[in-house]
Amino acid sequence: MSANIDKLHDDHHHTPSGIMRWITTTNHKDIGTLYLWFSLIMFFIGGLMALVIRAELFQPGLQLVVPGFFNQMTTMHALIMIFGAVMPAFVGLANWQIPIMIGAPDMALPRLNNWSFWILPFAFTMMISTLFFESGGPAAGWTLYPPLSLQGGDSMPFVILSIHMLGLSSILGAINVIATILNMRAPGMTLMKMPIFVWTWLITAFLLIAAMPVLAGAITMLLTDRFFGTSFFTASGGGDPVLFQHIFWFFGHPEVYILILPAFGIVSTIIPAFSRKKLFGYDSMVYATASIALLSFIVWAHHMFTVGMPLAGEIFFMLTTMLIAVPTGVKVFNWVATMWRGSMTFETPMLFAIAFIVLFTIGGFSGLMLAMVPADFQYHDTYFVVAHFHYVLVPGAVFAIIAAVYYWLPKWTGKMYNESLGKLHFWLTTIFVNLTFFPMHFVGLAGMPRRIPDYAVQFADFNAIASVGAFGFGLSQLLFVYILFDTLKQKVSAEDKVWDGAEGLEWTLSSPPPYHSFEKAPKVE
Amino acid sequence: MSSLKKTYIALTFITIFMFSFSYMLVPLYDIFCEITGLNGKTNQEKFLVVNENPTERFVTVKFTSTIANSAPFQFEPIDREMIVQVGKINNTFYTLTNNSTTLKHATASPSVVPSEHAEYFKKIECFCFSQQQINGLETIELPLQFIVDNELPLETKTLILSYTMFNTTDQIGSK
Repeated sequence: MSANIDKLHDDHHHTPSGIMRWITTTNHKDIGTLYLWFSLIMFFIGGLMALVIRAELFQPGLQLVVPGFFNQMTTMHALIMIFGAVMPAFVGLANWQIPIMIGAPDMALPRLNNWSFWILPFAFTMMISTLFFESGGPAAGWTLYPPLSLQGGDSMPFVILSIHMLGLSSILGAINVIATILNMRAPGMTLMKMPIFVWTWLITAFLLIAAMPVLAGAITMLLTDRFFGTSFFTASGGGDPVLFQHIFWFFGHPEVYILILPAFGIVSTIIPAFSRKKLFGYDSMVYATASIALLSFIVWAHHMFTVGMPLAGEIFFMLTTMLIAVPTGVKVFNWVATMWRGSMTFETPMLFAIAFIVLFTIGGFSGLMLAMVPADFQYHDTYFVVAHFHYVLVPGAVFAIIAAVYYWLPKWTGKMYNESLGKLHFWLTTIFVNLTFFPMHFVGLAGMPRRIPDYAVQFADFNAIASVGAFGFGLSQLLFVYILFDTLKQKVSAEDKVWDGAEGLEWTLSSPPPYHSFEKAPKVE
Repeated sequence: MSSLKKTYIALTFITIFMFSFSYMLVPLYDIFCEITGLNGKTNQEKFLVVNENPTERFVTVKFTSTIANSAPFQFEPIDREMIVQVGKINNTFYTLTNNSTTLKHATASPSVVPSEHAEYFKKIECFCFSQQQINGLETIELPLQFIVDNELPLETKTLILSYTMFNTTDQIGSK
């Protein structure tokens, strides 16, 4: 990529070179690239922690790590994967794609954009540094439930401050996305003509600015409870720990849709391109996304069915949760209908997108099982929950991100990736992801609790399989990194319209696109 | 670019509103629990004037106690169980012993089961949420005066009052 960058650089005399170029950049493509690289690095750091967890769980008994460190690993793995890998990857894709998809020269607030990226490395340095404290990193789970999180070591204020910074970064990013989409569309591009990826990101951005401040409030209360004598959650002062769970999940449930809605947008972009048909039911896709977003604010207590809620509350949250299956089902059927009788080809992005539909639906079904109150009392805090959310996040969000990278990489770099290696990467990833997470359903239903370093011997076989799968999955991602570097070294340039079935303004630009994407706004019919 | 400016002023406003909203959830949660009687929160204010209106109905009231975070206390109800007349004032007490040799501060927080009937358990005198000061190896009596309201639904035969005693010496000391 650096070759292209140098070429672009020559045309623009005001951009500094070297490291300062990346630190001071206000260009949406540079910032998008930074976000994506950052998220890849975080993906490997978080993945390494997952491998520590899986190595320990390979056999029953304690072999490699002490239980306290194991808890730090589960906590940090979640925080890094959610806030460091998936969210920045989506923001990176938004930065790269939104301006070139709506025909804008850049994002609306470029300096803010630079700031929202550069907060991240500092926040994560601070968060990860807590692992080297004498009292260790945070170990109360990413949900930070009091009273346990209030009893943690010195890491707690550092982790809270870094989550504040991550929240700030996400909110600024979201404001930027909304401002860009609402103000900078090419003439003629009405809201209902926008690419579906842009739509899903617009809705995600609204979720972000509605949900992240609530998280900020909840963790600020934790901080004041611990250091300034308030008692929001400390029972000795008349506070209530269950209140934290309510506030946290009021943020937490919209958050899980923040992690999946842009993935829906990506899949809705890729499936039509390789089916050579228009997206089936564009309008219903937009309305389904919006209703999923609205419903996400009234279902939070399904994460806490076992805290001792009254029957009326449990029934309300059960039914609203199940209601979400309706718009989600609309989406799945639309994707299938888009492929129906299409002239389908199976390039790497399409393979990942199809795997997304199949495997995300499995995750959706286990979510429906968890939504049922009587069943949830059995499944709560077991590996079944772990299997559920990993199915929606790994072959869900992560597969969509990988699909998006393969789909747009030729556009970004001007070079074509190696298709055979891409397919190999797909098959390895898909096989190992199922090997890792499918057995977790079984051990969960059999009663294995989550967040424990040791377990009863009857769970040993499935855990050994899951650990083998996890190491296979992790190693397969090294192939992905190789493919990325291999692409940059390719000699043959990619065409402007890389995929013959693809539609959208981004394919009217050169590959790679010019430094200022659309100097003159294109006209949309 | 005034429309752009409008957009980000509106978005900043939403952000600030949602941050404040997270704090608004705290009183909202209490109000919601109070209206619906969920969560087993008993009325925190004491009833100064209560009209006795004894009925012929009797219910069982059970008393339990918990000591939080293995504080050096012994904390027990003097009566494990009372059969009380609905609508009549009753007296009982808990005893708190400081097993350590130093001065301690303690606070108790109450909870009633079944939670939806917490509002019918009215405390006239209680030691909830007030700071108790207790010398080393001392035992104190914590009196409780309560009345079970006449409105208590007929199907309810048993109420359980639970107190959790917290050691607040560190918090008091740091203030």
